[in-house]
This record gives sequence, C-alpha cells and structure tokens, in this order.
Amino acid sequence: MNARALARSPVASVVYVAAAWLVLVPLFKVQPRYLPPLPVVLADGLSVWPDLVAGFWRTLVETVLGFLAGVVLGVGFGIAFSASRIMERAFLPIFVALQTVPVIAFGAIVVIWFGNTIMAKVVIALYLAFFPIAVNTLRGLELADPQRIALMKSFGASHLQLFLKLALPTALPNILIGMKLAVALSLAGAIVGEWFGDTVGLGVMLLQALYFEQIPRVWVLIIACGAMGTLLYGALVLLERRFVWWRTD
Amino acid sequence: MSTSITQGIAAAFLAAITGIAAIDSAAAADPVSVRLKWVAQAQFAGVYVAKAKGFYEAAGLDMTINPGGPNVNVETLVASGADTFGIASGTEGVLYAREKKLPLVAIGMSQQITPFAYVAYTESGINSVKDFKGKRVATWMVGPQYTLYSVLAAEGLKQDEVNIVSQPFSMQPFIDKQFDVATVTLYNELNTLKEQGITNIKVFMPDDSGVTTQQDAIVTSETMIKDKPAEVQAFLDATLKGWKYAFEHKSEAVDIVMAAGSGLERKHQELMLDEIERVMTAKAGTTEGLGYMDMKSIETVQADLIKFGAMKTPVDLKSAFDSAFWAKVPDADKKM
Repeated sequence: MNARALARSPVASVVYVAAAWLVLVPLFKVQPRYLPPLPVVLADGLSVWPDLVAGFWRTLVETVLGFLAGVVLGVGFGIAFSASRIMERAFLPIFVALQTVPVIAFGAIVVIWFGNTIMAKVVIALYLAFFPIAVNTLRGLELADPQRIALMKSFGASHLQLFLKLALPTALPNILIGMKLAVALSLAGAIVGEWFGDTVGLGVMLLQALYFEQIPRVWVLIIACGAMGTLLYGALVLLERRFVWWRTD
Repeated sequence: MSTSITQGIAAAFLAAITGIAAIDSAAAADPVSVRLKWVAQAQFAGVYVAKAKGFYEAAGLDMTINPGGPNVNVETLVASGADTFGIASGTEGVLYAREKKLPLVAIGMSQQITPFAYVAYTESGINSVKDFKGKRVATWMVGPQYTLYSVLAAEGLKQDEVNIVSQPFSMQPFIDKQFDVATVTLYNELNTLKEQGITNIKVFMPDDSGVTTQQDAIVTSETMIKDKPAEVQAFLDATLKGWKYAFEHKSEAVDIVMAAGSGLERKHQELMLDEIERVMTAKAGTTEGLGYMDMKSIETVQADLIKFGAMKTPVDLKSAFDSAFWAKVPDADKKM
C-alpha cells in the first residue's frame, strides 16, 4: 500500500479525527463538559479497562446472537413472502405495525417474558434486526429476471433449482444490504435491552456514566460502541467482497 | 477467543434453558427475586450485602437480584409476579400503584427522610424556601414535583408565584446557571456537584419545611403475603440485616457493591453509601429501626397528592402499607 492509498484508508480517517480532537480541544479551550480532551477520555477508558472489555464482550455476544437470529428469521420470512402472496398479505402488515411500536414499549414486555437473562437482550436485538432483512430479502427475490426464469423452466428446472440457482443469487446482494442495516440496529437493540436491567455490558456502563455525569466515560462508551458497530459492519463488507461480489444489474 | 465464543453461546443457551426451567419449577422450590429500581450501586448495598453474606440463603431464600433501569417499572414487575420482591420508587409510587389497582404492598420503607433537596448558589440571595418566589426552580416532572409543591405549600407559597421548570437528568443547566434552584438527590446529584468542585451552594431539605416523603419502598405482592407470609418475613428480616451489616462494615459493603456492578467508581460509591446511611438512619430509622414505615407522613403525602390532583381517589393505606412484617423483624436485625 503506498502513501496515498494509506492516506485515504479508513484507518487514516480515524487518525485524522483523533488528531483533530487532540489539537483542537486545547486550542479552542473547549469546556470538558462539551468535549473532554482525548487523553482524559483514553485515561478514563484505561482506568476501567477490565469492565470495559467484559462489557464490550457481553454486548457483542448479545448483538451477534440477536443479529444471527434476525438473519435466520428475516431471510426465512422474506422467502416465505416471495413464495406466497397470502403469507405476505397476512404477515407483512403485522411486521410493519410491529416496527412502529417503540422498542421501549416492547422491551418492558420482553423483561416480563425473559427476565434479566441475556435472552431478553438477544430478543430485542432480533426484533430490530429482522425487519430490514425480511424486506430486503423479499425485494431481492422479486428481482429475478422473468426471461431467465422462463429459460430455466424450459430446460425443466425444478422450483428448488430455480430458487437456488437463480432467485437466491440474485437476491443475495440485497440481503446483504438488509444485513448491513440490521447489524447496526442489533447493536442499538442490545444496548437498549441492557437498560432494562443488567450488571454487565456497554449499555449498563453508559447508563451509569449518564447517571453519575461522568462525561469522559460517556465518550469512552461512544467510542466503544462505534468501534463495535464498525467491526461488525466491516465483517459484513468482507463477507460481501469474498462471497457476494456480483451485482444484480 | 473461540472458547469465549463457545462460552457466550453456551451462556445464551443456558439462559434460555433456565428460563424454561424456571417456569417448570416455579411451584416446587423457592427461587425468588428482588427487583431494584436502578442498576447496582450503593443505594442497594443492603440487598447486595444480604446476598453476598448469605443472609438470604440462611433464611431459606434462593435469591436473584435483578437490577433495574430507566425503563423498568418495579411496581408492575412485582405486582405481576415477574419478580417476588422489589425496591420500588417510594411513598408516591406505591400510592399510584394501589390507585391503579395493582396488588402491590409495601412492607418497609428504606429512606426515612425525603432524599430530595433543593440547591441554590450562595450568591443568589436565596436564603430560604420563601425566597424561591419569582425564581426559576427546576425539578424532575416524573414525581418529585409533588414534593416541591408540598414544600412550597408548607412555606406559604403559591405554585404560580414560583417559575417551576422541568429539570433534565443532568445538573448541567444548573451549573450553567440557567436555573436559580435545582433539585438533587442527597445520594447522587449533590455528590456530583461537589465532585465537580461546586461547593458554593445552599441546600434546602424538604424535611426542614415539615415535608417528609419516604422513598425506596420495600415491596411485594398481595399474593405473596397471602400464600407465603413466611418468605416475606424472611426477606424483610434478611434485607434489613443486610443493611445493618452494610452500615457497620461500610468498606466491605462497598467492595460487595463494586463486585456486583461494573465500571463503578469506589469514591462515588463510598459517598453514596454515606448519604444512604444518613437518610436511612435519620429520625425513626434509628429510634424505631431500619425500614420503619411512617404512616403519618404517608397519610400526609396522600392528602397532598389528592390536593394537587395527582391522585383522584384515596387508597386504603392499611392494605397498601403493611407494617405487620416489619413489626416482627427482630430488633437485632433492624436496630442500629
């Protein structure tokens, strides 16, 4: 990688932001309540390092489990919707209605159902994740070229063959779009889920930081959540480049 | 890394399975839970101490402590049976729950004096509650405003003589002097202000105006009281014993709380425990014992809530606040 490419890489942009933070905050004497100096934030992060790692890990597990369950359910419903108009007519409006229910209202019920288990957080993450995946799966499956379908049918392709060899590959880029939207929502779901009572997790730490007005800690957690979101999004981009490199059009 | 992933997934499955198992065995043994009104912190030291020191276990209770959060309604969870016991809001919260016909019963009150207070800068010229007249007074509009109304009434001020504004869950506007007076809790916001180096403040306590509203109600459901009174008694005994132990061994209590939570600052927790001790052992907390329910103040709070239109109909205080269990707690467990 040459210098110009490096200067334009995602890592470089993190360095630029960090440098700007490092320089501009003391330069303009920004009040620490608005934005604490970067070294203060980093020192605060270091001071709670073990808790931060434990919290990061727990939230990551919740997010990933919720996301994976969301992918299974979302893709499943997407396929069911594309296969059956009745299914779509029956369920899609319910899902749309569910999506308009604020997660806070839904979360209270989840706590009654699942208590303070990790399941409660996974279910909330799943609840937020599955809808964009279902919609994008459906949309992707509808993109299969009718002429190609006709061609494959004329060669005697079965429904399964049509699905596996044509519809699904056509839909995959769209499914990945849905997944990329969903992974960020899963993270938000896991964090909100932790606000319904837990002792470990980035969401719990965020809550405590807000309660005690520890502004540097809030920034530590913003960075941690951002890092996790980027990590998960990046993993999906890699997955896409490696396995779903084609474009539908 | 990979073992951790496996552990995480295993934990998730285990959680799912125990969740199902809990439904199955609910009738058989006594797994009980206590739901807190907030996340793990020294405000609940007694409960964590009772668990860590084995007081619950010794009392035959298989106790799980469920922390709360901003979206968790302890009254609903306990009344519905999702949690067996709870450390709920306080006098007002129990009254509202009863007015909504929730089968919730308070069996003790942790904080003996009003844990809210009003702060003003020394140079503001506000020397008493009477000086709130014409000033911007901020309070939390999620319940504590009624305490403010009671205080104003007790000091002979009309509500419209004071510019009452809604206070966010941050002291920043007060620090920026957008408010003349702000509301704090003695165990958190007041400490936060001090930690930020703001010491040029005067504190006005509702109790000095004769307004007492006990907070952090120890609650359970009517069903528990009817079907398992022995467990209710065991819970109250062990919890108050935990509190007594916490106040007598503060450093150890903070250790226990720190271990139960994550990312807690020791200094914060020590300060919080000091203040919690102050509000729990004030007045009857020492003369009568920890967890005492002051029926007279409860009666006054209800009368005030009705006066301010926060409640429509009075509830039967005898069935909402049941002192029978507290009376049976051995003095050794509750008397400091």
